[in-house]
Amino acid sequence: MKKILRLALVDFKIIFRDNSLKGMLGLPIILFVLILWGLPPLVEKYEFLAPYLSLFLVIAVIENTQAFSFISTMVLIDEKETDVAKVYGVVPLSKLEYILSRFLIPYSFTFGLNFLLFIVQPFFEISIGVNLCISLLAAFVVPVYALAINSIVKNRMEGMIYIKAFNMIVLLPIVAFFVPEKFKPLFGFIPTHWIFQSIENATLGLPVGLLLSVGFLYFAVCLWAVAHLFIRKHFT
Amino acid sequence: MIKVENLVFNYPKNDVPTLKGINFDIEKGEVFGFLGPSGAGKSTAQKILYKIYNKYEGIAIVDGKNLSDWDNTYFEKIGVGFELPNHYLKLTGKENMDLFASFYSKKPVKSIASLFEMVDLSDAINKPVEAYSKGMKMRLNFIRAIQHDPDILFFDEPTTGLDPVSAHKVKQHILDLKAAGKTIFVTTHSMATADEICDRVSFIVDGKLQVTDTPKNLKKLYGKEALNVELYNGELREFPLKNLGRNEDFLSFIQEDDVKRMHTEEATLEEVFIQVTGKALKV
Repeated sequence: MKKILRLALVDFKIIFRDNSLKGMLGLPIILFVLILWGLPPLVEKYEFLAPYLSLFLVIAVIENTQAFSFISTMVLIDEKETDVAKVYGVVPLSKLEYILSRFLIPYSFTFGLNFLLFIVQPFFEISIGVNLCISLLAAFVVPVYALAINSIVKNRMEGMIYIKAFNMIVLLPIVAFFVPEKFKPLFGFIPTHWIFQSIENATLGLPVGLLLSVGFLYFAVCLWAVAHLFIRKHFT
Repeated sequence: MIKVENLVFNYPKNDVPTLKGINFDIEKGEVFGFLGPSGAGKSTAQKILYKIYNKYEGIAIVDGKNLSDWDNTYFEKIGVGFELPNHYLKLTGKENMDLFASFYSKKPVKSIASLFEMVDLSDAINKPVEAYSKGMKMRLNFIRAIQHDPDILFFDEPTTGLDPVSAHKVKQHILDLKAAGKTIFVTTHSMATADEICDRVSFIVDGKLQVTDTPKNLKKLYGKEALNVELYNGELREFPLKNLGRNEDFLSFIQEDDVKRMHTEEATLEEVFIQVTGKALKV
């Protein structure tokens, strides 16, 4: 545990010494300001926006995950570019401990942000239990996103291209809100679809159990797969 | 300490194996060198031994145990000095060292400050590594590899990127580690480095070991035991080293004129390498 915490804290040192990464930590603050003080007067003024409030919440939740998705991705790419990753291949730290240490804080932080967001947003009544489950599920975007990109790219340049592509992919299931009901399942192959649908059901007061279960299962499979791929590629 | 038998390794996208059934062993407290040109398979062999590549054929036994049977405790026993600097650039030298020291259960024998002092980096201990020169980063590589007092050390081109003074110091530190009983496996394309620090060397070309012996034996075997003498009058002659002091021919020759130059015909390790492998060393 000591090893895990040590490495997790080192990541924070690196983040705070890199201006581009430090800047990303401000993203959730902007989102909170928009949701708390920007959106309510906007909806009041333009009533046609009211039916889309759940959509705004979906976007806010996913954007909350993007801060640490970007940061963790860049920290790992930097580690690969500077060959520090190779050193982790020859130290007595298991690969599981390594992954846990890299995502312990990003996961917890992202979970905390979304949990807080669901509490402070002024539009919907969402129970603590549902809030907890959706926030836990949404935070899985961070490790899946960062490990997947780092299993593919070799350097920062490639990383930036894939980050842009992944940003679009995580948001793509938004389209499901605008298509006929029967086409919605088509977006199920993108893991974030299950988060989006859970949030929509939660805002409508509909059951979320099945959607969350599928979401957790799908994210677990994705995480297992990308973690294996990452371990094979990152340390050599 | 290390025994390798019929080691074969093939990179997934290659048609031809990089290592084609190599055999060698390294005794405890020995400095063993792999010499060869780039792409010969030197680093690949090391990477197998420090468990980066696991899909190999053949037998590799380290400290009496099959390599594949070792768990994570193996990494407590070994230290790796990489060929290129690899540090967190945003962290200071000390922060880098502290971080990697924290993964080991054994407490460091030497303090981090004394390790920095050992390689003349005391002034840079609290500077971010991005401000280090390549030579400084390489010295940091070196002390990171030894900070947990491992029994077995792997150094990949340990003097690459170092100025002559630093290179000399690193070589001396490697000899000190040998004196302390450490087993050291070095890969290098620098014949001079190998000659200075290795007890035994193997020449590796195209994934095959051509010869393994002490540098001294190799030079003796492939060199000439003769003395080459050049006089100021331009005359140049070669005399056998055996009974040189009683060689009348030699004694009268050096009295003919002042001696301009005199040197033995002992082969350098590089010349031996070329003779054995038929190839010159290209970096």
